[in-house]
Amino acid sequence: MRARRFGTLIGLLLLCAVLWALTPHFLTVSNLLNVVQQTSINAIVAAGMTFVIISGGIDLSVGSIVALSGVALGTLLQSGYPPAVALAAALAAGIACGVLNGALVSIGRLPPFIATLGMMSVARGAALVFTEGRPVSGFDEGFRWLATGNVGFVPAPVLVMLIVYTVAHFVLTRTTFGRYVYAIGGNEEATRLSGIAVGFHKTAVYGVSGLMSAVAAIVLTARLNSAQPIAGMMYELDAIAATVIGGTSLMGGEGSLGGTLIGALIMGVLRNGLNLLGVSSFLQQIVIGGVIVGAVLVDTILKRHRH
Amino acid sequence: MRNLTLLFVVALALVVPSCNRDTPRAGDKKTVALVLKTLNHPFFVDMRRGAQEAADRLGVTLQVQAAEREIDVDKQMQIVENLLQTGIDVLAITPSGSREIVSALVKATAANVPIVIVDTRLDAKAAADAGVQAKTFIGSDNYEGGKLAGEYVVMATGGKARIAILEGIPGHETGDSRLRGFRDAVSKSPAISIVASQPANWERDQGFNVFQNMLQAHPDIDTVFAASDLMALGAIEAIAAGGKTGKIRVIGFDALDDAKKAIAAGTMEASVAQFPYEMGKAAVESAVKVMNGETLPPDIMVKLEMITKASGSR
Repeated sequence: MRARRFGTLIGLLLLCAVLWALTPHFLTVSNLLNVVQQTSINAIVAAGMTFVIISGGIDLSVGSIVALSGVALGTLLQSGYPPAVALAAALAAGIACGVLNGALVSIGRLPPFIATLGMMSVARGAALVFTEGRPVSGFDEGFRWLATGNVGFVPAPVLVMLIVYTVAHFVLTRTTFGRYVYAIGGNEEATRLSGIAVGFHKTAVYGVSGLMSAVAAIVLTARLNSAQPIAGMMYELDAIAATVIGGTSLMGGEGSLGGTLIGALIMGVLRNGLNLLGVSSFLQQIVIGGVIVGAVLVDTILKRHRH
Repeated sequence: MRNLTLLFVVALALVVPSCNRDTPRAGDKKTVALVLKTLNHPFFVDMRRGAQEAADRLGVTLQVQAAEREIDVDKQMQIVENLLQTGIDVLAITPSGSREIVSALVKATAANVPIVIVDTRLDAKAAADAGVQAKTFIGSDNYEGGKLAGEYVVMATGGKARIAILEGIPGHETGDSRLRGFRDAVSKSPAISIVASQPANWERDQGFNVFQNMLQAHPDIDTVFAASDLMALGAIEAIAAGGKTGKIRVIGFDALDDAKKAIAAGTMEASVAQFPYEMGKAAVESAVKVMNGETLPPDIMVKLEMITKASGSR
């Protein structure tokens, strides 16, 4: 697995080298900061997705949760609540949606695909009802710092992303919860038989994913200076792609956050590079699709070799 | 073996750009970037054609980029940020969100790249607050277009109608303006009532389903206004499926080729035509004027027209 992740990292570096050779605009400090900033939202959502996929599930509702948390945040900010209250409410909304997903999967015994497909529609609808379909926009500079600010030379969204990955990596690799996530994804029945509260931990996994979606919603809302009920459409696919490119297996039981971060960066660098080169947006979709399929193909081939 | 991923990535990165690089920055040819909402709609494809024609004629390089989906403001913002890195001379843009895109335009302003707005207006307050000032706005007013359609309905029905409306994606400025204009125009006639108004999300198949459901609930609908032709074309199919062809007036928006054919065939009554080709052309012409230091009027309006069988589908 370590070698696999190493391969992805070299893939990213080579991609950068190729772009450096093709355009003088790629390897500049401002462009690289640009790329990591653009990657941050997808990377944060994908961190939650990695937990879910390692546990053997899938979460299709992340984009809709981004929208719902975002409009909760935007509405409260605009009604004059202190930012701390609005941020807490956005996080709570994300966690609540995630936990509900988890409960439907563990207590309701629904397949994750169905439970989160339902939530995808419900959360989107709720965001639209809540705002009557209109975006909520115009926030004060203090809040917008989350998108426009810098700490040293590191843009605030990148800092948020790094904190998220550090904490999430610690949780996944150094806590019992993290170990159970791998165990459930590897063999749920065996995990249950060894006396671990599988239902509780699965519920928590979806809660983590909801929380990550809410964090992404905060960054997105600050970035656009607006909370849109139609925001976040198709984010689930970008997040799944980043996770899978990063070497996490859709069968569950294996994967890493480092891989996902590299996966998200590969997608961000690709999009950036294709923009810089002026490649048409239709071809961009083909290239990105090709990379996703290519990465999983490699994964499958490697597994066959190991057996 | 295990480096197949990177080989794959590299191969793609090498092959695709080399066969499709349309950004040679030859000599000191100036570059105009045109950022569209999307390219999978005939409206924007026409706009690009118009822009390309003007660019070729005036000797500037045109860079066209678009998000995959029309409503994806964050992607559009990323495209603007990325283009600014390449040192473009003027940015022409059709904003996917009239407030949201302001954050990206702040960056263009900081980089001293003049801005030309096309098709969808910026939110005046958001732009002013952020200190963003566009050189000009080029477009036709969606509100006026909706009003044109509404006035046509009043005229054609003699001020007596039971109307169904197919809306675009909720919260989408373009659709909202068209509907506001339409409602304002028909509301002056007391014998006209809007019996149903539902979103069909700009899509043809949803236009079919939603209108079929409306007909079930209100069999006496005699007029339908769709905020876009794709939805109107869906409604026409639903009318045919219900055996009511010719009994319900269908009015659309955009005057797509398929809609013009339907108007000629008599299954559709009328459609509001915008002229995206003209908008694209005017966008590049204005950009060139900006580079030459000319001052432009704040608004450059492109005509709107009601296409009917009588007006002839051109």
